[in-house]
Amino acid sequence: MKVLVPVKRVIDYNVKVRVRADGSGVDLANVKMSMNPFDEIAVEEAIRLKEAGKADEVIAVSVGVKQAQETLRTALAMGADRAILVIAADDVHTDTEPLAVAKILAGIVQAEQPGLVICGKQAIDNDMNATGQMLAALLGWSQGTFASGLDIEGDSALVTREVDGGLQTIRVAMPSIVTVDLRLNEPRYASLPNIMKAKRKPLEEKTAADYGVDVTPRLEIVSTTEPEARAAGIIVGSVDELVGKLKEAGAV
Amino acid sequence: MPRDGHDPMTEPPVLPDLLAHTERAVAAVRGLVDKAKSNLLNMVADGGKISAARLDRHQHSAHALAWLATYAESLAQMQHWAARLKADGTFGEMEQLLCQLAFGEYLNQIIGGLPMSQGEMARPGDMGLAEADIAALRAAAGPLTGHGNTDVARLRLAALMQDNHGHATFGATGLDDELEMIRAQFRRFTDSRIAPHAHDWHLKDDLIPMEIIGELAEMGVFGLTIPETFGGLGLSKASMVVVSEELSRGYIGVGSLGTRSEIAAELILCGGTEEQKARWLPGIAGGDILPTAVFTEPDTGSDLGSLRTRAVRAGDGYAITGNKTWITHAARAHVMTVLARTDPDSTDYRGLSMFLAEKTPGTDADPFPDDGLSGGEIGVLGYRGMKEYELGFDGFRVGGDALLGGVGGQGFKQLMRTFESARIQTAARAVGVAQNALEIALQYALDRKQFGRALIGFPRVAGKLAMMAVEIMVARQLTCHAARRKDDGERCDLEAGMAKLLAARVAWAAADNGVQIHGGNGFAQEYPISRILCDARILNIFEGAAEIQAQVIARRVLSG
Repeated sequence: MKVLVPVKRVIDYNVKVRVRADGSGVDLANVKMSMNPFDEIAVEEAIRLKEAGKADEVIAVSVGVKQAQETLRTALAMGADRAILVIAADDVHTDTEPLAVAKILAGIVQAEQPGLVICGKQAIDNDMNATGQMLAALLGWSQGTFASGLDIEGDSALVTREVDGGLQTIRVAMPSIVTVDLRLNEPRYASLPNIMKAKRKPLEEKTAADYGVDVTPRLEIVSTTEPEARAAGIIVGSVDELVGKLKEAGAV
Repeated sequence: MPRDGHDPMTEPPVLPDLLAHTERAVAAVRGLVDKAKSNLLNMVADGGKISAARLDRHQHSAHALAWLATYAESLAQMQHWAARLKADGTFGEMEQLLCQLAFGEYLNQIIGGLPMSQGEMARPGDMGLAEADIAALRAAAGPLTGHGNTDVARLRLAALMQDNHGHATFGATGLDDELEMIRAQFRRFTDSRIAPHAHDWHLKDDLIPMEIIGELAEMGVFGLTIPETFGGLGLSKASMVVVSEELSRGYIGVGSLGTRSEIAAELILCGGTEEQKARWLPGIAGGDILPTAVFTEPDTGSDLGSLRTRAVRAGDGYAITGNKTWITHAARAHVMTVLARTDPDSTDYRGLSMFLAEKTPGTDADPFPDDGLSGGEIGVLGYRGMKEYELGFDGFRVGGDALLGGVGGQGFKQLMRTFESARIQTAARAVGVAQNALEIALQYALDRKQFGRALIGFPRVAGKLAMMAVEIMVARQLTCHAARRKDDGERCDLEAGMAKLLAARVAWAAADNGVQIHGGNGFAQEYPISRILCDARILNIFEGAAEIQAQVIARRVLSG
């Protein structure tokens, strides 16, 4: 069985995000970019399936700008077998929308025929949480979202999901789309031998047009604003003063 | 220089045409080195040859030349780095400020007095340089001396440094994508597996857990540059530099542990027989065989040639007798590389041989179980995690096949061949330690509030942090330069020595300033910066003390 793992190049989780002066979006100039952390978990899970003999090949795919090549190299260094880069934008500030990404992924699925697609539950940049679900709908496949556990049993997958107040385990028929949550696994570090091997692994370059997908945005970003700065507090001298201030502020 | 009607705080931080000025400055400093060298030769030469007695008498001047040459190479490498980044379109504001501040500061130190240690300055007059020589340097450097290292530039750099989240270094390194991927992976590993525990290991004086050694082995650390035919990865010295730096950033002990195997392996690679390579290298590369270097003696440190431990023929092999000290990680090691005298009539390096002496790894209860080998721990300020020992050899037996290369009298030469790599690696460790000090001090300066503002709001604090970042980049570029030369198969003892000399001073300065920013808290053992101070101190001492390093550099410059 082939496993397809879509990975997204996003702003690094350590970065303090800055909004561009004109409010048109987030400033990405000279900003550290990394693989979406949920996608790292997806890559790790796919590699573990291969190591357990339940998958034969792990294919990493990224849709976005040319620089996403680095993200794919990281996936290859972790242990993916080969990679496909679909160039869908030239400007690093262009975010390809979930539906366009899902359509491109559907095209890749048609070509590669994987038994399983494992993706992060959402990207930490725009928090859309939509691509995996849209892909399932486009393909007419089953889906198991927010997975904190995954087992393959014959023609079906057991997916443990984190839901409010507990865990839910469902059985889905394969082929399937599984989107993964934070606690599924702890991604490995790419070792030096694997970084070396990654250099020799194939990385195929495609464009959105190769899959006949129009990536023109359908959504319009009206504005992007920074969270309001926290106002400075005041130190009060007594409980009476505190109560007085709270009354003034209309809090009690 | 402030003048009437001229407010330096309104100057733009980066000078126009920066790289044109730096290029001219590099050429001028190189010219100054040539002049200083010829002056020095007049002072120390006797009948066309360098006289040891005269070199001794003019040691301060000779070492001043070594430091001047080190600064010249440092600035040249900063210039190369800047030019490379510019060509790649990555010479951003932070990089420009790092470059400008480096030139502004180092040029002024060359002119006014360059610290060889806190209390010893190298001044132009020490090298017979005249006012006219200095005036020529000033003229060539243009605005760099007066307007390179300014308040505005330092504060701007400090401001950019606060906005550097997610980046492993302050400023682009100029290294290729693969090396940066290696850095990113080792940084993550260090942040999760090393950094959270390092201070605890230090305070408890614990050995680095075997579990961590296992993980380092899996990461491929022990066989980094060992050829693939011997079970290694055949990677470059440049990658060793990146790995050493990132591991040392978490804990110097781990950065040293990982790559000291490399040095043992290099000793065997350069000097060993095919049988010795096949026997030892795969185990070392896999981390299953931990080596320890057994060279220093109680009465011989830098003057290794006079060592007294003897190896005498006994049956098919040798019996080793003598006292050794400063043996790092001795108890847990599986093999010792022992330097001992095999020619009893010799008194210098020519009678020394190197042995690959197998030993049994010890336990806490019985650290040295082998017959003829005893040892005691040396308590140390820092650089813990592997522990330091004194060893007593009393007829310790090794086989005939333990003699490195199978030929006696080659020990010192064999060891010298590893100096380049060892010094490059030590320079990289120093850069990692310095980076750690900077990151911790920066965080403290952001978190700690005094007089109603974060410490970093005080220009002296911001300035310290900015200059740490500048010097760390200088030391890193010098180290990478030496590593590249090594990878290209060129001689690099000079460059490696310079990198080690400078990086060790930079690490100590960063740690010391880091403590200063912490104030009283930095003096408390509870705070990690206190450990980094202790760890940084060793860098100026081991693998060639700063004075020995300067001596070696001076001799090379004078004879080159």
